[in-house]
Amino acid sequence: MQSILATLLFVAPDWVVSLTRERRPNAFWAEYIVWPVIQIVVVLFIVLTLVAYLVYLERKVSAFMQARLGPMRVGPWGLLQPLADGIKLLLKEDIIPLKADKAVFIIAPIVSVVAALVVLAVIPWGASWATIANVNIGLLFILAVSSVGVLGLVLAGWGSNSKYSLLGALRSSAQMVSYEIGMGLSIIGALMFARTLSMSGIIDAQRVDGMWYFFFQPLGFLVYAVSALGETNRAPFDLPEAESELVAGYHTEYSGFRWALFFMAEYSAMIVTSAVAVTVFLGGWMLPGVTGTSFFGLFGPISNPTLHTFASILVFAGKIMALIYAYMWFRWTWPRYRYDQLMELGWKWMIPAGLANIVLTGIWYVLALPKSAGGVFGFMQEERGRIIPTKYAGIFYFIITGFVVTIPIVWWLLVTINRRSRDFNLHDQRQLQMQLRRERLEKMLQEQPRPAETPSQ
Amino acid sequence: MSAAKTPRAKRTIGQLIKRLLLLDLFKGLMVTFKYNARALYEPRDGGNPNQAIYTEQYPLEPARVSERFRGAPRLNLDPENGSTLCIACDLCALACPVDCIEVGSIRREVREGEKVNKKKVLTTFTFDTSRCMFCNLCVEACPTDCLELTQSFELAVYHRAGFRWDREMLEKGINYVRYAK
Repeated sequence: MQSILATLLFVAPDWVVSLTRERRPNAFWAEYIVWPVIQIVVVLFIVLTLVAYLVYLERKVSAFMQARLGPMRVGPWGLLQPLADGIKLLLKEDIIPLKADKAVFIIAPIVSVVAALVVLAVIPWGASWATIANVNIGLLFILAVSSVGVLGLVLAGWGSNSKYSLLGALRSSAQMVSYEIGMGLSIIGALMFARTLSMSGIIDAQRVDGMWYFFFQPLGFLVYAVSALGETNRAPFDLPEAESELVAGYHTEYSGFRWALFFMAEYSAMIVTSAVAVTVFLGGWMLPGVTGTSFFGLFGPISNPTLHTFASILVFAGKIMALIYAYMWFRWTWPRYRYDQLMELGWKWMIPAGLANIVLTGIWYVLALPKSAGGVFGFMQEERGRIIPTKYAGIFYFIITGFVVTIPIVWWLLVTINRRSRDFNLHDQRQLQMQLRRERLEKMLQEQPRPAETPSQ
Repeated sequence: MSAAKTPRAKRTIGQLIKRLLLLDLFKGLMVTFKYNARALYEPRDGGNPNQAIYTEQYPLEPARVSERFRGAPRLNLDPENGSTLCIACDLCALACPVDCIEVGSIRREVREGEKVNKKKVLTTFTFDTSRCMFCNLCVEACPTDCLELTQSFELAVYHRAGFRWDREMLEKGINYVRYAK
């Protein structure tokens, strides 16, 4: 593991090293200044353009799902619409409400967008040189920094001095704080297999284990997906900006480019949560036969390192885009949850599911350890300092436990917890209430002396 | 009286599976996904309810109106010799409940083959589209199918005088500004 991290830490390509006229082992300027700056500029440019075009994509997808066309007038198929939107937002009057807390009002969108963009630094966009900072606590960093985004929303709600903003901010802070817990818990199962918090390390662990962690941790992925929807304030959990109730939520009073910053933060958060999901559960930039591993030993990954890295970036982007499409798909299909339902889903379903998943995964993991390490089944073996599932038997064991054993057990657990919950089981609850009332009435009738004649009904 | 428990409505296995796997949610997802996929490959036909995209790009493509829609008036010409079909009988003006039609005619001798007949001949025809309520009574009154309400609906003009259509406009139709794509 140490050796893998060491190779991942120094990633500047040769042409950068020759540019700074340094020698390889201690190329300080190339490794820490020049190459990161190039990477930051490229990543920011691509991500911000992508954010603009995600807005376009969202409008198109929503239009297609509603039998409309979406933007069509600016450029062919409306492709220049993001540009027009950006120019319009830049040219708009910068309005700060008279009674607003000016400093807070100005700082809020900046906090929000910084929290969303800083995280891009540790995301492994591709193999070898395509990561800006390979921090060995990358995942922790992402979870920590992205929760600062809540602060931006709360500040916006408070600083606007408007009831809609404040209500939206209160909702969103409560929602994001509660869904962060579920999000953190859902990842831990996969981390048990990966045994590292480094983003590149997690991807590499999936390569060594020979399986994406989605197949070992289907429940973890499910909990993560739902929590990510809640965390990014997207439908069906878009209560902070519920249009029909709160005008626009925490950014009601914002207009022009400050509003655009909030929008940018929202879509960057979508990209980040998708990237984490791809990294932890969907094998990162790996695709059998193209990047990372060979296709069942038939044809290998691309051998040219430069080509391999570019292909890996494309694979990673493709996976992220698939998840983002799912985000939009959900948004334009499902109706919004009520606020108490949302909280209930977070606290009574997602968090117990995450906890149970951790416990069950731990049990399956310990049972499968090699017999020398105290396991029962011996479905794992030691390889290069890491304990990995044995080929096929171990992998099969973990897939079976994940899909067939863990999910029913957790489902039973959740049903038991939520038996009396009124909101997710409306029909059953009503039947139960009716039955209880009937029993109560019958008991009353039994206690009272029965009248000689029952009135005809 | 025994407290006989009424049995709770039992779910069938199918309903149970439906609930466990949240099949209703996925059904909804499939509906929207089908629309999205169809929107990408189906030829566009604005206003057709059977297509995945209903939008008409109106100034770029002609808007659909119903078959029985009544719009701008027109005076039809004889397709053989291009002369007007109107015989200046004034029935349309009489039928019009808002008096928006004025028919001007003179009596003069018209050569028809060898004979020379004295006939009423149309000189002017004024149609006030600002007063017209498109009730179609004039069209029904017309004995020669000359006056007709067409499907064109772009009647907006910049000043009130533009609402008075003279004979030339009625025969030729008005020139619309067409915005190319």
